[in-house]
Amino acid sequence: MNNIAAPPPTGEPDLSVRLGNMLLANPVMTASGTCGYADEYADFTDLSQLGAFVTKAISKTPRKGNESYRVIETRAGLLNAIGLANIGLARFLKEKIPLLEKMGVPVIVNVPGWQIEDYADVAERLDHESPVVRGIELNVSCPNVKSGLSFGTDAVRLAQLVAAVRRRVSRCTLIVKLSPNVTDIAVTARAAVEAGADCLSLVNTFTAMVVDIEKGRPWLANGVGGLSGPAIKPIAVYMVHRVYSQVARKHQIPLIGMGGIQSWSDAVEFLLAGATAVAVGTALFIDPAIPLKICEGLREYLTRKEKKNVIEIIGALAMPEEGRAGGNS
Amino acid sequence: MRRGLCFRDAGAVDGTPPRGEFTGIVRANQALCREHYRLTLEVVGFPPSTPGQFIEILSLPGGGSTEKRRPTPASSAGPGDETARPREWQWTAAAPPRFTDPDLIAQRPYLRRPFSIAQRRDARGQQSDSAAVTQLDIMYRVVGKTTRVLEQLRPGAMVSLLGPLGRGFIIPPSLRLALLVGGGVGIPPMLYLAEQLALRGIPAVAFAGAQRADLFPLILPPGAPRPLDRPVASRSVLEFARHGISSIVATDDGSLGMHGFVTVALRAYLEREKEINGDSTTVFCCGPMPMMKATAAIAAMRKLPCQVSLEQPMACGMGTCQSCVIKYQPAGEPEWGYRLACADGPVFQAADIIWP
Ligand SMILES: Cc1cc2nc3c(=O)[nH]c(=O)nc-3n(C[C@H](O)[C@H](O)[C@H](O)COP(=O)(O)OP(=O)(O)OC[C@H]3O[C@@H](n4cnc5c(N)ncnc54)[C@H](O)[C@@H]3O)c2cc1C
Ligand SMILES: Cc1cc2nc3c(=O)[nH]c(=O)nc-3n(C[C@H](O)[C@H](O)[C@H](O)COP(=O)(O)O)c2cc1C
Ligand code: FES
Repeated sequence: MNNIAAPPPTGEPDLSVRLGNMLLANPVMTASGTCGYADEYADFTDLSQLGAFVTKAISKTPRKGNESYRVIETRAGLLNAIGLANIGLARFLKEKIPLLEKMGVPVIVNVPGWQIEDYADVAERLDHESPVVRGIELNVSCPNVKSGLSFGTDAVRLAQLVAAVRRRVSRCTLIVKLSPNVTDIAVTARAAVEAGADCLSLVNTFTAMVVDIEKGRPWLANGVGGLSGPAIKPIAVYMVHRVYSQVARKHQIPLIGMGGIQSWSDAVEFLLAGATAVAVGTALFIDPAIPLKICEGLREYLTRKEKKNVIEIIGALAMPEEGRAGGNS
Repeated sequence: MRRGLCFRDAGAVDGTPPRGEFTGIVRANQALCREHYRLTLEVVGFPPSTPGQFIEILSLPGGGSTEKRRPTPASSAGPGDETARPREWQWTAAAPPRFTDPDLIAQRPYLRRPFSIAQRRDARGQQSDSAAVTQLDIMYRVVGKTTRVLEQLRPGAMVSLLGPLGRGFIIPPSLRLALLVGGGVGIPPMLYLAEQLALRGIPAVAFAGAQRADLFPLILPPGAPRPLDRPVASRSVLEFARHGISSIVATDDGSLGMHGFVTVALRAYLEREKEINGDSTTVFCCGPMPMMKATAAIAAMRKLPCQVSLEQPMACGMGTCQSCVIKYQPAGEPEWGYRLACADGPVFQAADIIWP
C-alpha cells in the first residue's frame, strides 16, 4: 500500500513524516505546476523516491490558460503567468490517474476554482473516485487569474470556502495552499484551520511584474505573474515560521513549506522554521533530481546533528523572544 | 541514478527513448562568424535523437572549466568585446540602450536554455546514433546571459544538459525531395536534417538566410560556384555540399547571396521549378516566427507539406510547466487549442499552426 513507508535501514535517520492521514516516506515533495501530472517528468528522476507528488492544478473543465509569453526569468527566480492551463477533471481521471497509481507515493491533487462550487465539486469527485489521490490541495492563492486572488486574501471568504469543501471531503487530507500576497499570513492561516483544513501549504507565488523596456510594456502577456525561486525563499521561510508560531503549533496542523528551495540546506531552514514537509518547484526545471538530493543531504545533516528522526528538527528553531521577529531593519 | 524507474518498469512508457540529464565536456567552441559559435560537447550515453530535437543547457559563469580563461577570439568582436560597448552613461541615439549592456548582462543565468542539435557523431567523427561516446554539436548566437557564458567556454569545461527533448522532423516514406529552409539560429537543425537525408539518399535543396553577410554562420569556400545572387541552387555552402546538397543563400540586406529574406529565395526557386509538387516534396523550416509564417504560406500556395520547428520561451523543456504554448488547430478540429513547443513540438505541421 502507498501509505506504508518503508522503514529506513538501521542506523539511518528516519525521514518519514505524517501529513493529516498521509504517511510520507520522506518530507520532500514536488510543488504544484512544476512537474505536470508526473508522466512528462518520469524520464528525468525516480518519482518513487519522492515523499509525495503534487499535480498541476486540475479544474472542473479544461482551461487553455493565458496567451504567450507566459514566463520570464528574473535575477534569482522565475515569473510565470500560466493561467492554470490544464486538461480538466474528466481527462485527468481517465488519462493520468492510471499512471499516478503506478508511482507508489501519495498523490496530492491541486484544485483551483473561481467560486466555491468549482472547488467543492472537483474535491468531492477526487475524494470518492480516486483512491490513489490521498490529498487535495486547494489553490486559493493563484495570482494569475483575476478572480483567483480573492479567496486567498480574504479570511472570511476563505473560511467559507474551506468549510464548504470540508463538508464534501472525508477520505482525503485537506490542504489549503496559502497566498503570500497578504498583510499577515497568520490571519488567513487561522481562518483556514478553524474552518477545517488538515494541513496548510505555503507559499504560492508573489504577484510581480517584469517590464520589457524595449517595447515599454509588461513582458508577460498577462501583464503580471507570480514570482518563484530563490528570490522569494527568505520571505517564505519567515511566513512558514509566522504561521507555525501563531497558528499551526497550537492547532497541531502540519505545514508544507515551499518557495525557492534548491538544496537540502534550504529544506532544513523550512523544517526548522516549522514545516513538516517541503516542496520543490521552480528548481526542478534546473535539476529534476533535486528532491532526491535533498533527501540525501537531509539524512547526512540529521546524522551529523545526531537526530534519529526528522521530526526532531521540525519547528526546533531557537527564536529570540517572540514579538521581536516582526520588528526589523 | 535510477531514472524514471517506477513508470518504465510498470511498462507505462510506450517505447519512448530514455532521456535525461547528462554532462557535456567541451571539446571545441569555434567562432563561426560575428556572434555565432559552434560548440562541440562530448557526452557519454546520449540516447538516439532525430533532427529538430533539442537539448536544454545549463552553463554558469566559471562553472566547471578545467582550463584557464583565454580572451575571446578577435573574430568574435562585438558582444564578446565588452570594451567596445557603450557604458550606461554613454548611451546615445546611435547606441540606444539594449539588454546587451555589460552591466545588466553581468547577471547569472538562472534556468536552462534550449538549443537545437546541429550534428552528432561518434568519437571517431562518424555519423552515429548509438555510440557510447557522442559528440554533440550546437550552434549558437550570443544574445544574452547563457549564450555569453557559452561564448567563454574552453575545451575541458563542462556543462549540464537535458535531452534529447521534443519531437523532431518526420521524414515521410514518400519523400523524394526535401526543401530545407533555415534562417539565423534556425539553420542548425537543418544541418542535422541534411545529414540524415543524405544517409537515406533523399535529395534536398537548402535555403539559408541571415541578416547580413557577417552574421552568416556557414562556410562558403573560396572555390564555390558564383554568383550567389540568383535563385539557382549550387554547391556553394560547405556544410550542405558535403552531403551533396545544393543551396541558395539570402541576406536581409543583400550583402551576401540573394537580397531579402530567405523566403524570397524559396519563392523564386519554386517559380522556376514548376514540376515540384506535394506528392514527393516536403518543406522543412526553422527560423524566426515571421519567416516560418511566410514559408508556411508559400508552401501552402504550392500545396507542399511543410514542417516547422517553432521557438517559444521555455522554462523547463520537459513538458511540465506549460510555458511554451503554440496555438494549434489541425484541419477538422472545431476549436483551437494550445500545444507545447517543447513536448508536442518543436516540430509541427505548418498547416496546423495558428500563426501570430
Ligand atoms: C527549441 C529551441 C531551439 C533553439 N535552438 C537554438 C540554436 O540552435 N541556436 C541558438 O543560438 N539559439 C537557439 N534557440 C534560442 C535560444 O534558446 C535563445 O537564444 C537562448 O535562450 C538565449 O539565452 P540567453 O540566456 O543567452 O539570453 P537571455 O538572457 O535569456 O535573453 C534572451 C533575449 O531576451 C532579451 N531580453 C531579456 N530580458 C529582457 C527585458 N526585460 N526586456 C527586453 N529584452 C529582454 C535579451 O536581450 C535577449 O535578446 C532555440 C530556442 C528554442 C525554443
Ligand atoms: C510554472 C509554474 C506553475 C505553477 N502552477 C501552480 C498551480 O497550478 N497551482 C499552484 O497551487 N501553484 C502553482 N505554482 C506555484 C508553486 O507550486 C510554488 O508554490 C511556487 O512556485 C513557490 O515554490 P518554488 O519557489 O520552489 O517554485 C506554479 C509555479 C510555477 C513556477
Ligand atoms: S517549456 Fe515547460 S512545458 Fe514547454
